[in-house]
Amino acid sequence: MRYVKISRENTYMFLERLKDLGTLHAPQNISEKYYDFVEVDDVHSVIFEYNRTVRPPRRFFYPEKETMFKFNMEEVEEYPVEIQSERVILFGVHSCDIVGLRIIDATFLDEQPDPMYKKHRENGIIIGISCLPDEYCFCNVRRVEIVDAGFDLFFHEISDGFLVRVRSITGHKLIEPNLDLFEEEISKEDTDYIAEFEVKRRSMFSIQGNWDDLRYHLEWNMDHPMYVRESEKCLGCGNCTTTCPTCRCYDVKDIPNLDGKTGERVRFWDSCQFRTHGLVAGGHNFRPTKKDRFFNRYHCKNAYCQEVTTSYCVGCGRCTYFCPAEINFKQNLLEVRGEA
Amino acid sequence: MIKEDTRADVRERPRIGVYALTSCYGCQLMMATVSDILEVANVFDIRCFYMVSSASTMDEEVDIAFVEGSVSTEKDLKEILEIRKNCKTLVAMGACAVHGGVQSWAEGNLSYDEIYEEVYGDDKIDMPGLQAAPISQYVHVDYSLPGCPPEEDEIMYFLTTFLVGSFPEQKDYPVCAECRTTGNPCILIESNVPCLGSVTTAGCGARCITFNVPCIGCRGPVPHNTAWFDALATVFKKRGFTEEFVRARLKIFAAHNKNLDKMLKKAFGGDK
Repeated sequence: MRYVKISRENTYMFLERLKDLGTLHAPQNISEKYYDFVEVDDVHSVIFEYNRTVRPPRRFFYPEKETMFKFNMEEVEEYPVEIQSERVILFGVHSCDIVGLRIIDATFLDEQPDPMYKKHRENGIIIGISCLPDEYCFCNVRRVEIVDAGFDLFFHEISDGFLVRVRSITGHKLIEPNLDLFEEEISKEDTDYIAEFEVKRRSMFSIQGNWDDLRYHLEWNMDHPMYVRESEKCLGCGNCTTTCPTCRCYDVKDIPNLDGKTGERVRFWDSCQFRTHGLVAGGHNFRPTKKDRFFNRYHCKNAYCQEVTTSYCVGCGRCTYFCPAEINFKQNLLEVRGEA
Repeated sequence: MIKEDTRADVRERPRIGVYALTSCYGCQLMMATVSDILEVANVFDIRCFYMVSSASTMDEEVDIAFVEGSVSTEKDLKEILEIRKNCKTLVAMGACAVHGGVQSWAEGNLSYDEIYEEVYGDDKIDMPGLQAAPISQYVHVDYSLPGCPPEEDEIMYFLTTFLVGSFPEQKDYPVCAECRTTGNPCILIESNVPCLGSVTTAGCGARCITFNVPCIGCRGPVPHNTAWFDALATVFKKRGFTEEFVRARLKIFAAHNKNLDKMLKKAFGGDK
């Protein structure tokens, strides 16, 4: 892999140049405490050290709401819509979110590629950044704390700037015309810094080990009292799913026009925490109670994923950090594992 | 009746009526000012529309009746029975019609006589009143269009689905869903404000919270018994809000909800 080096000062310059290539989004403060990927105006407002964004990056490739096609009921015909997509550059994506996007890729690209997602994704440039965990993070037990695919560039903190891993052809193309900003000479001091950074980072996680066997613990303890107790606290607000970097569920709705014959089909994010998620024709509901819906998320994230990966949860901590009822996903899973 | 429409296809167009019981006329104003109102007037046969024409009457036969306002007087009750009789499909429009509105605030706390005495004392009024109630308390409601007032896109969605012979799908998820996708921080967590977004029906795009104002629940509780007042009250209790405060706040728009009092009791314990 190619490595280059850039100072903090030059990073701002690099961001300025990235703005010319498309719409650049990077983590910025949206309130006293919270961050989000916001379109960059002043590059100096970009935050290099942040815990997590309110919204995961999936929305850039899988928007909250999107028209799938238009239809005419008299002609009994459907018409494709032109997919509106522009080059999006995401700077400052953490490893958990990069893996999150790859999990979404598995659903939307692997077997039956979704044309909208595919186009948005092809238009995306992903630039990762290293981070230190807070008490909500557990990407280490999900074994996604280090990524080596799914990004174009990855910025690792070093003493006076960043060491950059160049992963893709797109990544090379971003570096090549901007070599005036980068150094190609990597010193022992730089790699030592990264090695030490990793040691420090690993020691900071509140839990250690790995959770590759979590699925079995969940399957063996389906009637664990945790589900009843914790789902009682649940507001059913769906914050855990709307902020999740790997939630993929959507619902569709037909919006007719005033001519009484044409209209469009729109898809929009759904959540398994909502009643209609499990509602089917005839009024039957697969998950009629709040507890059923609560249970579903724990199992979807950790046990319904044999085909793709060991886990649909990347340990970003959002579902706990943004839960108004302070339901602690990590703690509850530890309880089911018998390790609380 | 509003001036006779003489265009040839008028008979094929769905007939709609827009009515008001005790209310502020805000829902009708919203409906009368949708940007496609001229086109709406072309594709529907508008038989009556109280805000738009004083020639409107209750005895018109219509296919779809949109009714705003709560049943708060004997006259309202007589009218809603009349409207129900003369329409095929009845839509409760807005917070008052769907949930009883702010005028239902005292529901469960004060009787009609106590409220009357508080407001009028010994004075007599011409219009005999009733405890304010959502129209579903008296007649069958086919569809509910919540909001104070309803959003333009939802009004249009209701109209157009009826037009094609379909029906509007009810939103049964809370404001939080729209608040997160809008990219707002959660002000309940961050600023400890008593936001009711998690028990309130979505559709507004989390407008208030986007302007840093906590949700007061104007779109009413999430339907199908999925407004978890007990869980939310527990959160508020933990954050230092009193039972009186939480009850009063939830009563603004959810006073008629059957789960409210028992769920509050569950969260706060005791009889009060």
